[in-house]
Amino acid sequence: MSSKFQALDSKNILLEVKNVSVSYGKKIAIKNASFSLKEKEILGFIGADGAGKSSTLHAIAGVVSFDGEIIYKNYVYYSPKEAEKIKNEISLMPQGLGLVLYDFLTIKEHFDFFRDLRGLKKAMEYETKLLKMAGLYEFQDRLAVNLSGGMRQKLSLILSLLPRPKLLILDEPTTGVDPISRAELWDIVNEMRNNGMSAIISTAYMSEASKMDRILLFDEGEIIAKGTSEELIADIKDYTYEGEMESKECFSFNKRTYCLNSLSLKKTTPTLEGVFFVNALKKSKKPIIFEIPKKNLQMPEIIVKANCLTKKFGKFIADNCINLEFKKGEILGLLGANGAGKTTLIKMLLGLYPIDKGELYLLNKRIKSYEDRIELKSKIGYVSQKFSLYKDLTIKENLDYFAKMHGLSVNETNKKIKDYSEMLGFSEYLNAFPKEVPLGINQRFSVAAALMHEPVVLFLDEPTSGVDTVARSAFWRLLRKLKENLGISILITTHYMSEAEYCDRVVVLKRGIKIVDDEVEKLHKKYPGLDFEEIFLEIYKEKNEN
Amino acid sequence: MRINVIKAYFKKEVIDLIRNKMIILTYLIPLMILILFGFGIKMEVTHVRTIIIDNDHSKLSLEIINKFSHTKYFDVKVENLTYKEALHKIQTNKADMIIIIPPSFSKNLYKGAQIGVFIDGSFPLRAVTLQGYVEKVLINGFNIKLPIKIENRNFFNESMRDYNAIVPGLFGLIFLVVPASLAAIMIVKEKEVGTIFNFYSAPITKIEFIISKLIPPFLFHSVNIFILLILALYLFDVPFRGNFFIFWIASEIYILISVGIGLLVSIITSTQIAALVLSVVITIIPGFLYSGILMPISSMGKESLIEAHIFPVMYYNHLVYDSFLVGEGFKSGGNILYFFILCAYAVILITLGTLFLKKAIK
Ligand SMILES: Nc1ncnc2c1ncn2[C@@H]1O[C@H](COP(=O)(O)OP(=O)(O)OP(=O)(O)O)[C@@H](O)[C@H]1O
Ligand SMILES: [Mg+2]
Repeated sequence: MSSKFQALDSKNILLEVKNVSVSYGKKIAIKNASFSLKEKEILGFIGADGAGKSSTLHAIAGVVSFDGEIIYKNYVYYSPKEAEKIKNEISLMPQGLGLVLYDFLTIKEHFDFFRDLRGLKKAMEYETKLLKMAGLYEFQDRLAVNLSGGMRQKLSLILSLLPRPKLLILDEPTTGVDPISRAELWDIVNEMRNNGMSAIISTAYMSEASKMDRILLFDEGEIIAKGTSEELIADIKDYTYEGEMESKECFSFNKRTYCLNSLSLKKTTPTLEGVFFVNALKKSKKPIIFEIPKKNLQMPEIIVKANCLTKKFGKFIADNCINLEFKKGEILGLLGANGAGKTTLIKMLLGLYPIDKGELYLLNKRIKSYEDRIELKSKIGYVSQKFSLYKDLTIKENLDYFAKMHGLSVNETNKKIKDYSEMLGFSEYLNAFPKEVPLGINQRFSVAAALMHEPVVLFLDEPTSGVDTVARSAFWRLLRKLKENLGISILITTHYMSEAEYCDRVVVLKRGIKIVDDEVEKLHKKYPGLDFEEIFLEIYKEKNEN
Repeated sequence: MRINVIKAYFKKEVIDLIRNKMIILTYLIPLMILILFGFGIKMEVTHVRTIIIDNDHSKLSLEIINKFSHTKYFDVKVENLTYKEALHKIQTNKADMIIIIPPSFSKNLYKGAQIGVFIDGSFPLRAVTLQGYVEKVLINGFNIKLPIKIENRNFFNESMRDYNAIVPGLFGLIFLVVPASLAAIMIVKEKEVGTIFNFYSAPITKIEFIISKLIPPFLFHSVNIFILLILALYLFDVPFRGNFFIFWIASEIYILISVGIGLLVSIITSTQIAALVLSVVITIIPGFLYSGILMPISSMGKESLIEAHIFPVMYYNHLVYDSFLVGEGFKSGGNILYFFILCAYAVILITLGTLFLKKAIK
């Protein structure tokens, strides 16, 4: 995992970006970005949500107007129109879960479309390789709409590789992609680089970023640091301590604490993630303190009990006889590769999919019919993989809507909106539209929406995918607080294996089968010395051989 | 222009339309409009230009004139004209209706004296409605029998069948509203979902994209020309006297105009629902008003007449009416002119679309 890409063997500059700025109306997305990219180089963009990474990528790909100049090889361009000439050498994968896919086309039809669009010849061997890499080879006749979130992401990714670009631009390509596929993706990108390709890749996974040749750190519309991952990390080693703590002055995440003041804790080697925290501290940002008043909600010991739940789509078995017990006040992590059946399982528990086989008890009640669920609706909160917010409504209007759906009175609603927006730290964004605010804010207000009716259990499907590091750390502190102060039980899926450390227990699915169901501590004892990502890969490998 | 790009989009669009069931609407909506409106249009007629020729000058005749003057339905003028002159007024569209009260009418009433009523028949539905009004006033108010003759100014509809007037008028409405909304939705959908990036980031020209996106709705609706024509001829029994090719080509060009409007709508909207609403709103109103279904273009006031000439509906409808009911075709200079005006509309709209479409995030 930690090995670097093969070192550069070329000094030729492929792309030069000079003083590029992009603005949308009054809002400046990126100001005076300048950098260059060598041939066969892989450049990483990191930075908080809304820091200007996407806008810079869009300017280079010639899909947005910009000020400044960009030179590709010897060709200078100042506008999207002038960039037309080089578009056959560039491939862009925009951010978002499978945004470039057509829901009603199959995987195979997508290949046909993109091949024709670019006027490519069919290259069986290469296409097969891409499909196999993405784990989509067996599913070629499946409609895009029926793919899991991560499968959609991987499909978009291999489609962007189809034209074998000279310059590959990927905007958070691995959001929602499982650790196994992420490793495979890097192999492919590395191989293509050896054949002469360069790439600019933005990512929210710092373990990935540390493998790139060079990294640019974006913050609030500016590039604030450039260098290799070692160089960036070296700058923060004085502020990095071992262990976690709760403090108003310091950030803690993933077994490290970052603080500008010196602490009595032991210093440790930082990771790239620390760059974000130290940067936030230097800008005098403080961790949000979630103040959630203690409450004692009435609930039984066992929240969910599932006996042999099964879901089939035609002949395909998405979930195969899953047994599950989910206890009061527990944070349960649901892990597994893309398409393993996590979302499907959650949707069965929620009654969004009919159950093909098996028994389900929610809050001690056997669930058989739709009517059984209606009663329980008010006890359950759900945030879907895509955050089902209404784009045309402001954040406040969205919350109003959710409250109305659950029959809250106007007074109650207003009080709740006020309380939650303060507690979860988004009160300044209440009148903004979802697309105007960073993903991390959307994520927190989606949780607020799910909490409006005071549920006793929360189902969260990949709430942290694509969310920046600082926001993720805040989010996990929020979940802990919800659990500790309200006693809410939380079932959560994630592809950040480090986040699994914050769960009490994990359930791992593989191809619709439950392969592990154990407490996190016990797994650490079983696999001593490994971090959770390594444990996960180990488990997946073991169960393969059986 | 590269065929592979157009092929890529065409295939994708057809698959998409079929799988998301939009194809059903593409064929169902025109059918429904034609059938519902064809069978069901009813109209209220007001401000009918009425000339009353009073040859009697009795108390009764004055009462009759009064009765007509005091409703919103008739704009009455009393004039002294001969029968021939009066008829000429209808034929030259100076009046919609003439009422002739014969000399000594009130004296001869008990012997069965009759009032002559002549109504402009060029819009049969309106004529029939008018006839009803007049009968109501005269028979209910005065218990007067009357022979009403409906005068056909243009001698279009000698058989006086309503369908003949309404059904061709609906072509201009349907082929303006439906292809425009389909085209607008199909383009805006890409913006809404995000797939528009495939166009932004690939080496495809704007023209290639526009052609690729407009061909499917254009072709799908071309099929509708034939479906609707068959219905008009066999379900509604409308005659077809003109040249089929003129009708067909004019319809294709008109559909092109409509998808061009859809293209423009898609440029200024960003959600499918907004695109649908906007394209329907801007097409349905002129589609109805200036189709000649509600009122004949020739009897419009000056302002609405100018407006009618702004929208392509009137030109197309003229050609359609000619094809169905008259059959002059290109023997009439007017028809040729209208045909070229339609072509100009199509070219202008699509050129504007090409100019305004941005191949970049706005
Ligand atoms: N409606 C459907 N029809 C056919 N197959 C489906 C349908 N919905 C889901 N599937 C398939 O079921 C499998 C499980 O999907 P699911 O969304 O549960 O995966 P997941 O574990 O949530 O993956 P990810 O991590 O990518 O979100 C996938 O192979 C998916 O393609
Ligand atoms: Mg999922």
